[in-house]
Amino acid sequence: MKTISDIKRFIKQWWKDFWGICCHEWKLIAHDGGVLIIFTIGALGYPLLYNLMYYNGVLENVAVAVVDDANCAESRRYIREVDATRELEIACHCATMEEAEQLFQQRKVNGIIYFPKDFGQKLARMETATLSIYADMSSFLYYKNLMMGANFVMLHEIGKIQIERYASAGFTEEQSMQLVSAIPYEENNPYNRTFSYTIFFLSAALLMVVQQTMFYGMSMLAGTQREEHHSFARLPSQLEGAGINRVVLGRGFAYGLLYVAIGMYIAFIVPVLFDFPQRGSFWDILVLLLFFTTDCVFFCSTWSSFITRRETVFILLLVMSPVAMFLTSFSWPTTSFPFFWKCFSYLLPSTFGCQAFINLNTAGGDLSTIQPQIIAMTIQGTLYYLTACLAVFAENRFIHSEKVQRIKAKRKAVLRRLDTKVKITENNE
Amino acid sequence: MWKYVKAVAIRELRIWAQRPIYFVGSLGVILFGSIFFLTFFKAGLPSKLPIGVVDYDRSSLSRNFTRQLDATQLGEVVRFDDFRTAREAMQRGEVTSVCVIPDNFSADIQAFRRPTFTFYVNGLYFVGGSLAYQDILTMINLTSGAVQKQVLTAKGVSEHDMMGRLRPVNIDVHRIGNPMTNYGVYLNNLLLPGLLQMMIILVTIYAFGTELKYSTSRYLMETAGGSILHAVSGKLLVYTLYFTAIGLSMILLLYSWLGYPLAGSIWNMFLDMFLMILACESVALTIVGLIPVCRFAISIGALYSVLGFSLAGFTLPVEAMLPFLQGISTIFPLRHYYLFYVQEAMFASGFAGWYQEAIHLLLFLFLPVFILKRLENAYINMDYPKK
Repeated sequence: MKTISDIKRFIKQWWKDFWGICCHEWKLIAHDGGVLIIFTIGALGYPLLYNLMYYNGVLENVAVAVVDDANCAESRRYIREVDATRELEIACHCATMEEAEQLFQQRKVNGIIYFPKDFGQKLARMETATLSIYADMSSFLYYKNLMMGANFVMLHEIGKIQIERYASAGFTEEQSMQLVSAIPYEENNPYNRTFSYTIFFLSAALLMVVQQTMFYGMSMLAGTQREEHHSFARLPSQLEGAGINRVVLGRGFAYGLLYVAIGMYIAFIVPVLFDFPQRGSFWDILVLLLFFTTDCVFFCSTWSSFITRRETVFILLLVMSPVAMFLTSFSWPTTSFPFFWKCFSYLLPSTFGCQAFINLNTAGGDLSTIQPQIIAMTIQGTLYYLTACLAVFAENRFIHSEKVQRIKAKRKAVLRRLDTKVKITENNE
Repeated sequence: MWKYVKAVAIRELRIWAQRPIYFVGSLGVILFGSIFFLTFFKAGLPSKLPIGVVDYDRSSLSRNFTRQLDATQLGEVVRFDDFRTAREAMQRGEVTSVCVIPDNFSADIQAFRRPTFTFYVNGLYFVGGSLAYQDILTMINLTSGAVQKQVLTAKGVSEHDMMGRLRPVNIDVHRIGNPMTNYGVYLNNLLLPGLLQMMIILVTIYAFGTELKYSTSRYLMETAGGSILHAVSGKLLVYTLYFTAIGLSMILLLYSWLGYPLAGSIWNMFLDMFLMILACESVALTIVGLIPVCRFAISIGALYSVLGFSLAGFTLPVEAMLPFLQGISTIFPLRHYYLFYVQEAMFASGFAGWYQEAIHLLLFLFLPVFILKRLENAYINMDYPKK
């Protein structure tokens, strides 16, 4: 009977400690303005801001200048058709290349289409006629639009001219169609029909906000605790060295609960506000959020334990935001990652979480689609849980000892002396 | 005056010696970031993108098509037995696209029944998706051309006349500023300075904020002879020299060592970088003056500097954004750096091209004027919360 009551007492104590630590952490968060800025402006505001920024993800009607030296029926038709595409807009008909170049330099146009003098003649002689395009490479979207618009019109024109030529060679219309488009094709871009920048960027960025803001918030708090010579992970005093799980789970739960709420806001509410595609089922996304948040919590617990001063986390690790973003492979494909960075990307929960979110929410998969990422996050989360425990253990055992305290006090004294020294030299001068 | 400025600068250097974060920390971060981006995009363009092929036809023609697609530099074919598994692989992001070669494809082509070739692209992985799209489109047009060529040869059309028939119009593309469509050149030109602007803003805010945080601001004011102007100039002198050294090395690294395309003069790029550094410092000083609490100021600085990347407009052009954001984009020094860089490095248009951006960047220098008094009061009275 004794053992049962022991177990009961243990559970009660465990729960009390766990809950105490959790509430303590909430109190710290609520009393820290800097962390609140990160959690509100960062986690709640950024998803809205990025949505606003990339509200029109599709660049339309890029201005181009035309220099038509050929001045023939075909070139004029080509120009009209370019103007009619969604991608491009003829902003200016220039008489000379110099004039067009000037507009190009002034950035009034982002491309030039040039028809050489012999364009019409070559077409009449049934040769290959070449036109030139000058593309502004300052943003790849200009280039993409210019290429897509011009190529689309070119393919269309090729078809038209070929049919004319075959007709003049005595082919029937049916015969020439069979030759001109021997293999008609049908292209589909099911998940992002217009190659919208918004859909591609936000799919990756939304969950990145979860990881990064949690990390900065948690590190700031850990740094503050260290600065104030507390430990970020004090064990309940009555336990005398035991109870690491309680600390890790208690702190983790405080952030986990907060971030499941923030995650739900990011994954369910923000997309509705901006008509962002939501193709995954509610429950599947919720499962992903739970796995991802848990993984992030232990990831942050582990790495934030290296932070000794509050503000340094931004100076040292803000750079990780763009780095982690590129490591999700949203832009540069995973298959082209250098080996080292591929390994490095496995350290971050976002690598798996963002990919899973892209595949689940935007490509409309189900849980089986994101199975590899879920498994990876489980393994990663478990490892980070162990390292987080190790960090708490080390913090209590070695780092937060009196000796270190003394060194810290000494350092502070040196700093203070430094200022007085400067003052004294000042006075002497 | 010079005496005080010098004293403050020396004091700052002493602090550097005490706290490695200023020098070692920031330099380490910039080095890490630069090495990351430079090595990450080293290939310039991705190659061997996985392209799924579902071959229902299994004819020599379809196998030939698959082999040809596999042999392109961009693509690498992954074969699937049915569309379902291929679609699932695409949804998982394992392949960038899926081509479906229908049953009787070869026979239909021979009989001129014009079978439809269908392909699917995953547009969620931007670069991979759009490059695979191009690659597949090229292959289809080539195959279609081959069919035409066969027929025309059979009809007795000469080789010379053939080209005109097969390809009446051709496009000759000139890519201004990035002739090889190198993705690394495109992004690193802005990502590296972006990284620097981020560090400048953070470190400057930290340098001014810690004086309040550790209550050393009165000593600072004493060193500066009681003038905020001396204090600010002394501190900024050190940081300007330090960041200018980094910034100019960055320009040298990009345009001289790595040989990134630079149409204009490297001296003007130096100027661009220098002006951006000054502008970023002014912004940082303004933030810390408006909010003389280190922890708030640095959080705001972090949020601000991350936005600079998007609002510079080198990914999604600013003119595609909502009008009010087009206005907001002008308050980011990186935006003006980018416009300056386009004029100088891409178009070589010289002073006439970029003078407006230079003026914009210089205007940032007036920002701190409004907050100097406030910062002075904060430094002397120390009446802001430290936590």
